[in-house]
Amino acid sequence: MRDVFIVGVGLTEVGKRVDVALRDLAAEAVVKAMEDAGNEKPEAIVVGNMLSSLVEQENLAALIADHTGLRGVSGFKAEGACGSGGAALLAGYSLVSSGLFDKVLVVGIEKLHERPTPDTARGLAYAADADYELIYGISFAGLNALVMRYYMDKHNVTREEMAHWAVMMHENAYHNPYAQLRKKITLETVINSPVIADPVRLFDSCPLSDGAAAIMLVSEKYRKLNDTPVKVAGIGNALDSPDLSSRFELDRFIAAKLSTERALRMANVSINDVDVAEIHDAYSIVAAISIEEIGFAERGKAPKLWAEGRFRPGDKPVLNPSGGLKARGHPVGATGVYQVAEIAMQLRGDFPGLKVGGEVGLAQNIGGVGSNVTTVVLRR
Amino acid sequence: MTTIQRIWRLRNRLIRLSGTKCQDCGLVTYPPKAACPKCGSRNLIEIELPREGEVLTYTVLNVPIKGFEQYAPLIIAIIKLGEAKVLAQLTDVKPEEVRVGMKVQATIRRTAPTLDGVVPYVVKFKPVRGEEASLKEREAEALTA
Repeated sequence: MRDVFIVGVGLTEVGKRVDVALRDLAAEAVVKAMEDAGNEKPEAIVVGNMLSSLVEQENLAALIADHTGLRGVSGFKAEGACGSGGAALLAGYSLVSSGLFDKVLVVGIEKLHERPTPDTARGLAYAADADYELIYGISFAGLNALVMRYYMDKHNVTREEMAHWAVMMHENAYHNPYAQLRKKITLETVINSPVIADPVRLFDSCPLSDGAAAIMLVSEKYRKLNDTPVKVAGIGNALDSPDLSSRFELDRFIAAKLSTERALRMANVSINDVDVAEIHDAYSIVAAISIEEIGFAERGKAPKLWAEGRFRPGDKPVLNPSGGLKARGHPVGATGVYQVAEIAMQLRGDFPGLKVGGEVGLAQNIGGVGSNVTTVVLRR
Repeated sequence: MTTIQRIWRLRNRLIRLSGTKCQDCGLVTYPPKAACPKCGSRNLIEIELPREGEVLTYTVLNVPIKGFEQYAPLIIAIIKLGEAKVLAQLTDVKPEEVRVGMKVQATIRRTAPTLDGVVPYVVKFKPVRGEEASLKEREAEALTA
């Protein structure tokens, strides 16, 4: 396998982007990434997306390539629910490391504000098991709520401890010009916010987001396209059941553990070497279990650690300096690409929000309730 | 919205609550799988799960997904049924009465109409209360309704 480097990144502001069409939102990120990579064009594009059917558009690779002057390149869409960005990165990495291509552009794109919210919410629940879960009308927030209650009961975690995560994410996002929710909040904001699916409250949850991100992946031959190339040192993916009923343990994401182990082994680094990470906190419970499965905390201890002040700028590791899905936002199929772009910029030193620097960074993107997890390790 | 085809395919499982049991490692799984999630064996048999169990965790949805608005507040639980766990709706109980560890039993009830306008019946769970009519009677009643 050949080494793979990131030589260009491009992000759009996350939010309610009804002002732009899907193709134009994607183009904004694609152009920025190509400019960052010395205006070099890719030979192939891989598009991460979950729900473009909401805007009645599939065949995204052709649409985006054509719209951005890349007619004729190779490409396809990769899907892994909310983990579609990670799936696209896995595919893009494989295309370069295998030697099939030298330059592959990975694009993440999602537009969730095109349709009425009930349509979007139903679409997001397609990540679950349609035959055995959706048939009861449960939403994606509801599935996470089942895990949250089980976890809090089992590990004696308080409502207030859980709430600290959202407060921290909003503090971080306050500095991020790409973030959707750039305002600071208090514990009371979280604890008194409306109940969506008990015990999940509005501020335990990420917002609905539109956004696009792009990353240029290249082989050794093209690493000089950028003055500060960042190496994709390791990448791992793992799958678990889409349904919760057949999970062996309801307070664990085994796929998160496996994908982390695979990425770290490939990168030949220990979890203690990681300076900064962007993790998938679609709900505060997902942040807690992710932190534990990645290995930043013992089981059941993550909320206590973040309530005590851990994982903030100055700590090792710093988690989600972007503001995470909670406050940067969660443009579903783009999120995994945002995370890796953000970590690459942290290691390069040019992230436009909170700068934490470091040598080794990690990004973790989840599809479903922990059922499709991609973990990427980057090295300066 | 679901379809009549899906309800027809799942009719036995949605009424009889069947899971799969691995003939090699013994693992019981719900929903049924084509191979054992633990050992990978394809030597599985379909079994009927017990119809009484206890609530492991639950949620109350003020906003169910589109098509299920009439059931709000919708109570969904994961129920321990013998060796398996089953996600299903709770019925005949108020949200504030639900507790982790509560004993519940299967019952057959209507659910949201399909795209074709058919009203399907599925398994839901209600609290175990001594004076209730027997489960068999309730099922017969529901199926002939």
